[in-house]
Amino acid sequence: MTTTTLTGTTSPTTSAPTSSSRTGRNRISWPATIILIVGALYCLLPVAWVLMASSKSAAELFSTFTFAPSTYLVDNVADLSAYRDGIFWRWMLNTALYAGVGALLSAIVSAMAGYGLAKYHFTGKKLVFNVLLAGVLVPAVVLAIPQYLLFAQVGLTNTYWSVLLPSIISPYGIYLARIYAAASVPDDVIEAARTDGAKELRIFRSIAMPMMLPGLVTVFLFQFVGIWNNYMLPYIMLGNDRLFPLTVGLSGLLNQGASQPAMYTSVITGALLSIIPLIALFLTLQRYWQVDLAAGAVKA
Amino acid sequence: MPSPSRRSPTASRRALAPWGFLAPAITLFVLFMALPIGYAAYLSLRKVQVSGLGLGSGSRTEVWAGLSNYSRALSDPEFVASVGRVGLYGLVLVPTMIILALLFALLLDSKHTRAKSFSRVSIFLPYAVPAVISSLLWGFLYLPAVSPFYYVFDRLGWDAPTLLSSDLVMFAIANIALWGGVGFNMIVIYTALKAIPTDIYEAARIDGATERMIALRIKVPIVAPSLIMTFVFSMIATLQVFAEPVTLRPLTNTISTSWSPLMKVYRDAFTRDDIYSAAATSIIIAAATFVLSFGFLRLVQNRAFGQEN
Amino acid sequence: MRLTAGTRIAATAAAAALTFTLAACSGDDSSAGSDGPVELTFWTWAPEMEAVVDIWNAENPDIQVVVNKQDGGDAAVTKLLTAIKAGSGAPDIMQAEYQAIPTMVSAEALADISDTVGDDVAGQFPEGVWNSVTLGSDAVYAVPQDSGPMQFYYRADIFAELGLQVPTTWEEYADVAAAVQAADPTKHLGTFSATDAGWFTGLAQQAGASWWSIEGDTWKVSVDDEATLKVAEYWGGLVESGVIDNKPMYTPEWNAALNDGSQIGWLSAVWAPGVLAGNAPDTAGLWQMAPMPQWDATEPSTGNWGGSSTAVTTQSEHEAEAVEFITWLNSSSEGVEALATISAVYPASTPGQAEALTAPPEFFSNQADFYDIAAETAATAGSFTYGPNVNVAYSAYNDAFGKAAEAKSQADFVAAVATMQEVTFEDLENAGFSVTE
Repeated sequence: MTTTTLTGTTSPTTSAPTSSSRTGRNRISWPATIILIVGALYCLLPVAWVLMASSKSAAELFSTFTFAPSTYLVDNVADLSAYRDGIFWRWMLNTALYAGVGALLSAIVSAMAGYGLAKYHFTGKKLVFNVLLAGVLVPAVVLAIPQYLLFAQVGLTNTYWSVLLPSIISPYGIYLARIYAAASVPDDVIEAARTDGAKELRIFRSIAMPMMLPGLVTVFLFQFVGIWNNYMLPYIMLGNDRLFPLTVGLSGLLNQGASQPAMYTSVITGALLSIIPLIALFLTLQRYWQVDLAAGAVKA
Repeated sequence: MPSPSRRSPTASRRALAPWGFLAPAITLFVLFMALPIGYAAYLSLRKVQVSGLGLGSGSRTEVWAGLSNYSRALSDPEFVASVGRVGLYGLVLVPTMIILALLFALLLDSKHTRAKSFSRVSIFLPYAVPAVISSLLWGFLYLPAVSPFYYVFDRLGWDAPTLLSSDLVMFAIANIALWGGVGFNMIVIYTALKAIPTDIYEAARIDGATERMIALRIKVPIVAPSLIMTFVFSMIATLQVFAEPVTLRPLTNTISTSWSPLMKVYRDAFTRDDIYSAAATSIIIAAATFVLSFGFLRLVQNRAFGQEN
Repeated sequence: MRLTAGTRIAATAAAAALTFTLAACSGDDSSAGSDGPVELTFWTWAPEMEAVVDIWNAENPDIQVVVNKQDGGDAAVTKLLTAIKAGSGAPDIMQAEYQAIPTMVSAEALADISDTVGDDVAGQFPEGVWNSVTLGSDAVYAVPQDSGPMQFYYRADIFAELGLQVPTTWEEYADVAAAVQAADPTKHLGTFSATDAGWFTGLAQQAGASWWSIEGDTWKVSVDDEATLKVAEYWGGLVESGVIDNKPMYTPEWNAALNDGSQIGWLSAVWAPGVLAGNAPDTAGLWQMAPMPQWDATEPSTGNWGGSSTAVTTQSEHEAEAVEFITWLNSSSEGVEALATISAVYPASTPGQAEALTAPPEFFSNQADFYDIAAETAATAGSFTYGPNVNVAYSAYNDAFGKAAEAKSQADFVAAVATMQEVTFEDLENAGFSVTE
């Protein structure tokens, strides 16, 4: 199941694990590598499919072999860009705004809360943490309508704020930030800074934040993906299609009612274009990806 | 530690400091989560009372419903069936997901594998694909007439199972969730593996342990807390399964509008316009999720944050 | 359904906190100044509606309409009703499918425009269609926009190849379905779609069903009337014997089947050319349209699938201007022509149809009399009253018929009708409607 040294490529004698292999420590285990690659290919398969499908014309999409590429990618992108004066790109920008700003603010708010929870002792700490964490128990589908009714009371529905503000709070983000703060900011560093007369906020800003940075990048990415993929909240909050994020916009192309064909080609091309920025972001920030859900245990 | 007796100005400022740090989070939480949740709880106790044809103005009034929305939800065979279905779905999905994530993480951590960064990025990639889009993609891959798998099977003269048939549809949905979720969990476990000081292995190797033994007897126990947490979060996500079956539903006869508990919530709130029942059902779901994860959450307190004290 | 005082106070407190943080940033409310032009927002999912509205906007500088394109799915109605409940956020004008009108009226979402709408408007629409925007009362809740009389669409080339006759009765339809299967087991004459409740409603309507009706001050629910049972039993038989497919429509698989000729017929509505052109563009010129197969050939009838109206919401502060626009859109020759040619919908207005639709749709350029047949069949549509919980009945349809179609059992089809009846009736009863069976 796990890491194996089953194949001694040069030793035909047995396939038994060779424990003595001090020299062969970096030998390649082909079964293990193959399992890994098969997993990777399985994960890439549907992505490859989108790439193929988005290169097909509407006629080819349902009539040619699914994995046969075609030559219409540029045309499809052009069609999608021309759709209603390029509203697709507006949706893309909106999504970037919701996800970028929302995730940034979320990372900051989570960092502060996580730091406060990890590095201070105060009455009610456990309660506050548990209550904040309980937020993960309530799914977004449930919250959307009450959130709308409350936002309507202050006249904020159908604005950028209505999507942005609720996205800032992230129970997972706080949870992760607490772990990062506990693991990466040593208490004696804080104490030393205090002895030097530094204010609490300043300690957080100039000492703790930089130490927590890799973890905060993870919180940022985590929330970025969450907001990028959010559907229910913007669907219910926004009436103006110029404020839509991609998810709501694309679902509109798919659900045109029975009397209109679903715009599959455009949706698939749009899906491809919409995951490209996410993939790019992942690749640039991937070295920060370290989702530590239970740091303390290792060090104990 | 703040001194318990006479407080200096700095000490009292320090006592306020954590609240200062928590203030933005608490404010946002209260405004955008606690208030809506409270409002949903309130709605769950209400209902609309219609009189006559319900067409004239004022023929609808909102009245107290007591716990009737709750009792209706709990006695609704559709709801009970959806809970059972998702329970089974979770039993299939969560262990598979954790085992695969652990397997891939260990393989990535092994010195004997190659193509690691390619694999790591590839396996993690699906996490970036919204569930709605991934379900659409897999939907194409599941339908015999447009699927490359069936095409290949057909050419080979094999009989392929219909993945969206009533027997297999659960696995079809689980596969989408698995595809999207393994990478994230793999990274969680991998992060934990990388934090293990390597000298532990050296000692074991000198004692003659094989890589497999090191993996099973040293690495797995050390990352157990991470496994438990991935288990809890995967379980919560599983109980909230929604986007995948909703997107696949129009493609098949085998997914009902109340396939999962949350789909029932969605149907009541968004197609039947009955926010009251939907609120009651969702509070039942949240409470059940809470009870299920409570034991684990206690564990989090003890394990993950043990070093703070 | 307003918020109570308690929640209102809490919300206001929340609001104060919000406005404090947000300071100068406020939402762009569409309230125009008293002397500027009136701006009307319009939620619609009809294709190219902006281009149609542009014509109006150019001619009416004082009444500017802004199109907000919406999702045409199930949740569109709830989105409007949530805004109505909240007291703000609804558009001035809303595209409303006929079956959703009673639900919207019941939630007080649609304004009664009987005082502002012109007296000459009603006469332009077939009585059945007009009835669905008045709900049989003196009020007027919308102006009909488009309609979807059903016809039978088939691949003329494959019919000729297999030597098949176009079925004119349901009996013949069953025979042809069997003949298709006998000639080529990969081909089907059609499919029974458990995901398209509107389609089945149209079939039931053709057979003479009307699932809801108003008797005095009481709703009568009769989903399980004889006509519907007859239709369900008929289709159950076809599916059980396997001569008709049991897979849903509008799936990628179904699209592929339209392309490769394994679905050679489609019981659809007058908007079918647009769907076929989008899903199977290469089959242009191969399709033909004929009237629906009949239960009683001496008394031809059809049902409706789809179709929508344009309504003014109760939140609009410019009802008169909104009515002016929707009247232009749906009953002026300029508006109807734009609807028909730009948005490619089948206008509900009878004189408008005759005027605007002279040439057949491009996809059916081989059938010169396309719109003549359409108009003839449209005139035979049976009357059908929708109730205030159509969505409940429709989701019950999805679930019950989904199971039945999967099981391929005629008995289950019949039982599914009973389930629909029970669910629909109990929902109304629970909500407190005065209702009988």
